[in-house]
Parts: sequence; C-alpha cells; structure tokens
Amino acid sequence: MSDVTLATLPIEAALQQAQVNGQHRPTSLISMRDIWKTYQMGTEEVHALHGVSFDVNKGEYIAIIGPSGSGKSTLMNLIGCLDTPSKGDYWLNGKNVSEMDDDELARIRNQEVGFVFQTFNLLARATALHNVELPLIYGGIGSTQRHEMATQALKAVDLSDRVTHRPNELSGGQRQRVAIARALVNHPSILLADEPTGALDTHTSKEIMDLFERLHSEGNTIIVVTHEHDIAARAHRILSIRDGLIEKDEKIK
Amino acid sequence: MRVDDTDETQGTSPSSYEFGQRIAPSSKSRLIRLFRFAALWEGFLVATSSLRTNKLRTSLTLMGIVVGVTAVIAVVTIIKGLDKTVAQTFSSQGSTVFTISKKPQIIKSREEFIRFNKRKDVTHEDAEAIARLCTSCWRVGVAANAFETVKYADQKSDGVRVRGVTPTTMFDIDGVAIDAGRIWTEGEGDSGREICIVGPDILTNLFGGAAADRAVGREIRIAGRPYTIVGVLEPLGSIFGFSRDNVVYIPYSSYQKTFGSRSSIIVFIQVPTAEQLEAAEDQVRTIMRNRRGKIFADDADEGFSLETQDVFLDLYGKATSNIYIVTIGVAAISLVVGGIVVMNIMLVSVTERTKEIGIRKAIGARRKDILTQFLIEAVTVTAIGGAIGVGTGFGLAYIISALIGFPLLMSLASAVLGVGVSSVVGIISGLWPAWRAAKLDPIEALRAE
Repeated sequence: MSDVTLATLPIEAALQQAQVNGQHRPTSLISMRDIWKTYQMGTEEVHALHGVSFDVNKGEYIAIIGPSGSGKSTLMNLIGCLDTPSKGDYWLNGKNVSEMDDDELARIRNQEVGFVFQTFNLLARATALHNVELPLIYGGIGSTQRHEMATQALKAVDLSDRVTHRPNELSGGQRQRVAIARALVNHPSILLADEPTGALDTHTSKEIMDLFERLHSEGNTIIVVTHEHDIAARAHRILSIRDGLIEKDEKIK
Repeated sequence: MRVDDTDETQGTSPSSYEFGQRIAPSSKSRLIRLFRFAALWEGFLVATSSLRTNKLRTSLTLMGIVVGVTAVIAVVTIIKGLDKTVAQTFSSQGSTVFTISKKPQIIKSREEFIRFNKRKDVTHEDAEAIARLCTSCWRVGVAANAFETVKYADQKSDGVRVRGVTPTTMFDIDGVAIDAGRIWTEGEGDSGREICIVGPDILTNLFGGAAADRAVGREIRIAGRPYTIVGVLEPLGSIFGFSRDNVVYIPYSSYQKTFGSRSSIIVFIQVPTAEQLEAAEDQVRTIMRNRRGKIFADDADEGFSLETQDVFLDLYGKATSNIYIVTIGVAAISLVVGGIVVMNIMLVSVTERTKEIGIRKAIGARRKDILTQFLIEAVTVTAIGGAIGVGTGFGLAYIISALIGFPLLMSLASAVLGVGVSSVVGIISGLWPAWRAAKLDPIEALRAE
C-alpha cells in the first residue's frame, strides 16, 4: 500500500508506519499514510496531494503552512473528515477514516473534529448559545445536558455574558470565540482552525491566538492552517506544504 | 463541568477542555438519539424561523394549498348541512306520498315542455276516480297552487303561496298542523266559503308578528277577494332560504271561484306505510291510463306524471355528487399547483441556505438530518396552509349557511383530512429539494456565499 521510503520519515513516524503496514492501529492521534488526492479537471487529472504522510500526537499544537494552491486546503479538508483521500490511509483517534461513507464521516466530524473557520460560519439567526449547542443536537445529546455543556463552553471562551446574542450583535473576535466554543463543546480529539485570524484585526488576532495557546495548555490538540508566518510561529510544530507534498516538518518549541 | 455519564475521567478544572473528554450520552439521551428528537426539533425551529423571516414568500407559497383545502372544506361542510336539511324536509312528507299531475315537477327540455302541455288537465274527477277505485290508497287529496298578493288593511305581502286543497286530509298529507283556530269543516270547504288557514309568515308580514289566536277571525284579501282566517299553522321552517311558512290554505272550491276552474290540479295520494307505495302506484297508474285511454304500457306518453319525493332526492343526489366531483377536481388542481409552488420555493430555500447546510454538515449533521430539516420545513408550510384552509373553509361554510339558512355541520374528520392531505403534499413536494440539500458536498456548500 505504501511506496514511501521509511528513511524520509522521522523515526517515531517510521515505527508507526511499520505498524500500519502490519495492519496495526497507530498509537498517534492522527496518522496519515501516503495520502493522495486527485481531482478530475475535464480530461486531465490534477494531483492536489501526492503522497503525504505525517503523524500528530495528542496534545500537539501544529501549524500547517503553505502558499495558496499548495494543497493546504485539501489537506485540511482531509484532516477535518470533510473529504476522503483518493489513495492512502488516514487514521484518526484509532479509526480508519479513509474508507468511511458520508454519514460515518459526519459522525466523526461531530465527535472528533472541532472546526474553526476564517469567516466564523455561525448561523446568523441563531443565538450564541444555540450555535454552540448545534453539534450536540446532531450528537443526540438531551436538552438539559446540552444547555449545560454549551453554557460551559461559552464560559470557557469568556462569553458568558453574550449567551443570548446573535452573531450580528457580536464583534468579530466575539464571533470567533463563539465558533471556538462550538468547536470545543463536544470535546473533540482535534481543534482544526482554518485561517482563524484571517478576518480579524491584529489586536483581536492576538486575543484569539492567546486563547488557542490556553486551550493547548489545557491539553487540547490544535491544528491551525494558515499562510501567515507569525500565526504559524505560535505553534509548536510547523508542517510546510508545497505542491502537494510536505516540504518541511519542524518542531519549533 | 458536571456531566452525568462520562466514559472517561473528567477534567479537573471546570473550564478546561481536555482532549478526549468525550461525553457519552446518558441512557436517556441514547434513547433520544434513536428518535433523533433533538434534530427533529431543530428542524422544526429552523423551519418556523425561516418561515417567519420570509413572511411574504411564505404566505404566497401557502396560497395554492389554502385555496384547495378551503374549497374542499367549504363544499363538504355546506353539502353536509344541505343533506341534513333535505333529509329533515322530505321526511315530513316521507316516502308514503306520491302525486299525479299533468306535468312533472322537473322539466328538462323545451320539447318535454311542449309535449307535457298537450296533455289533458288532471281534474277533480280524476282524483275522485282514484279515491274510489284505488284500494291500496289511504288518503287522496287534491291541491292547486297560485302565487298571489295577500293584503290586510294597509299591509300587503307579495308572492304568497295560495294553496287550494280538498278534502281536509290534505293537511295531514302535507304534514302541517294547526297552531291556533281550527281547520274548516268539509261542509264549509265544499260550499266554497271564503275562509283560510294561514302560515306563520303571514302573521309576521301582515299582522306585525301578532299572536296566532289574535289573527283568527280577521279578514284578509287574497287576489282582491276577502277571506276570513279560521286557523293558523305551526311553523315548518325554511329550506334553501325559502320559507315554507309563507302560505295560505283555502278550500279548493273557493280556489276555483277566485282563480277560475280551468287550471290543472295535483292529486296527492298517501299510503299507510312505505311498503304499500308500489302497489298503490301500480293501481293508480292503471286507473289513470284507463281514464286517459292509454292501455298499452309501451305507449309513448302516458298522458300524466306519477311522481314521488324521490325525484327530488335523486336530482339532489346527482347535483351534489357532481358538486363533489368538481370540487375534488378543483382541489386536486390547486393542491398540485400548490405542491409545485412549495417545491419551487424549497429549491430556492436550499440554494439560499447552501452555506448553512455546509456549516451544519461540517459540525456533524448527517444526510438524514438535513433531509428531515427541509422536509419538516415543507410540511410545516403546507400544514399551516392546510390549517388556514380548514379555517377559511369553515368560515365560508358558516357565512353561506347563515345566508341560505341551513345547519352548519363542521366535522373534525374533514379538518384532520384537510391538514393531513396538505401535509402529504408537503412531503411529496419537499422530498426532492430536501434530497438535493442532503447530498450537498460539505466543502462546496461551505464555499457558497
């Protein structure tokens, strides 16, 4: 299944790779093995990713960085289980995601992934509390417990006083914090942020990045996808993507 | 944070969000998950809020459904009311009475009219022959009708039905009873005395609603001739807005004196029980054929018309069943059109809310969650339309029944049916748009603006 040379991988990853090849479940939280993503553009096949492999352990804070068109968004969609690879294996928290159907992926997104988007992507007509409750609704959590969990999540992002506000009554930073509360409310395995500060001013950006740092210190696994180097620099490990391949994988802290 | 059943250890700090601190749904919410109640309720909330946001669009969308359901409910309710009225009215004479007349009461064409006019008049002699020869007959009477102006002092009433009858058993055959005063004696009737028995409407119209016994003995003018009131009838009520109490009974011999003797009469025959009706009809038919010189049954025209109340009931039945068919057709067309409108609006709604669908999918909504959300929206629209239709239908029926004057019979079954059928229309027309929403690719949906 794999034609990746073991020598190109860090030693831990190589060991895990060996286990995957031997059909063992990887011990790391995220394990991507020789991931390809191919799009059909007319008659032409375009490879957005060609053979990406890496591992993420619990509690890591990673930035994925790369210019536009590098395959960074494709990789993020795969990590977030919004899409499945054309080829390769993706293990998330012990589950092989690469062969799941739509509804199984929805379940994984609900339970394992917390999304934070550049444009917040809150439901405009719903209150902050309802927005945060939404993943729990689809997770089938009863209303009393749901209400309690959502309130707690909003408290965790210091928005206890904005529970009944709608997105248009909140500032950009507050909106993003609602989105973060929504991402965290179901206690996912990974917090996946796509350009989380792209729509925010410098001051608010710093606030949000401070919040990420705190969440990381509380034990959350965070993956930030960005093209801004100063945002990436807040992470503890940077994966640089170029032309559909991992160009560099460096621990910086 | 406090959570009832967690399958892993909870975080120490109340505000911390640690990895893997998965909340397992409690046994109760596990059950709820089976029914996806939360997701269904979410669908309903989304539906109502989106319908509220687009009020104009929603009300326009509702129109087709409302019109269809209104039509059905109004017609069904009105016809039920009419059915009851008709049943009550005709049971007062019942199926023990039939008539012999020159012309049938319902003439379908000009040709028929010409043919019936060539017949001999039915006369008092015919009635006497029937009374004498028909052994199965119980009561035989004759009646002639005219519509005339009736006056008292300076009061007058136009279009009063003046009914010349003999003998006095005609009151029993007509199923009317005396409220005050008396029925004239056969002697008074045969001698052509100018006496009358009036319906309650005459009291209202000529005597300012005076008590029945105060009218007895007064003299009114019928077609210019003075008649003394000897009795007042009990009220019969009205049918289809026509009062059956706007009537004056006079002896037939007096009727001939006032209106001339050259008009055809109607012979009323009553049998004791409905079972004897057929035998009596056969006898009377034979007697009348003999009197008209028509011996052979295959003769083109018998020269008289033998009718029971069934002709009305048949005609009424045919008319209402036609109304039913037309209404069902109208309703079906408006429901189909309404359904197409709903489908169209739902497609627009799906397109408009592509982003929202993307967000919901990203955070874990499955296909069937999105599908049910949009189905609920479609069903909510059509069910509201149906409910409004039931309301306006009953309202329309109420107004019409009040105007025409028949009982209003609102049935729960038709209300349930109205809302039910429109909900089914909602499901059918919502299915395709909802399916399109459900199978949207989350990545592309998120990209939408």
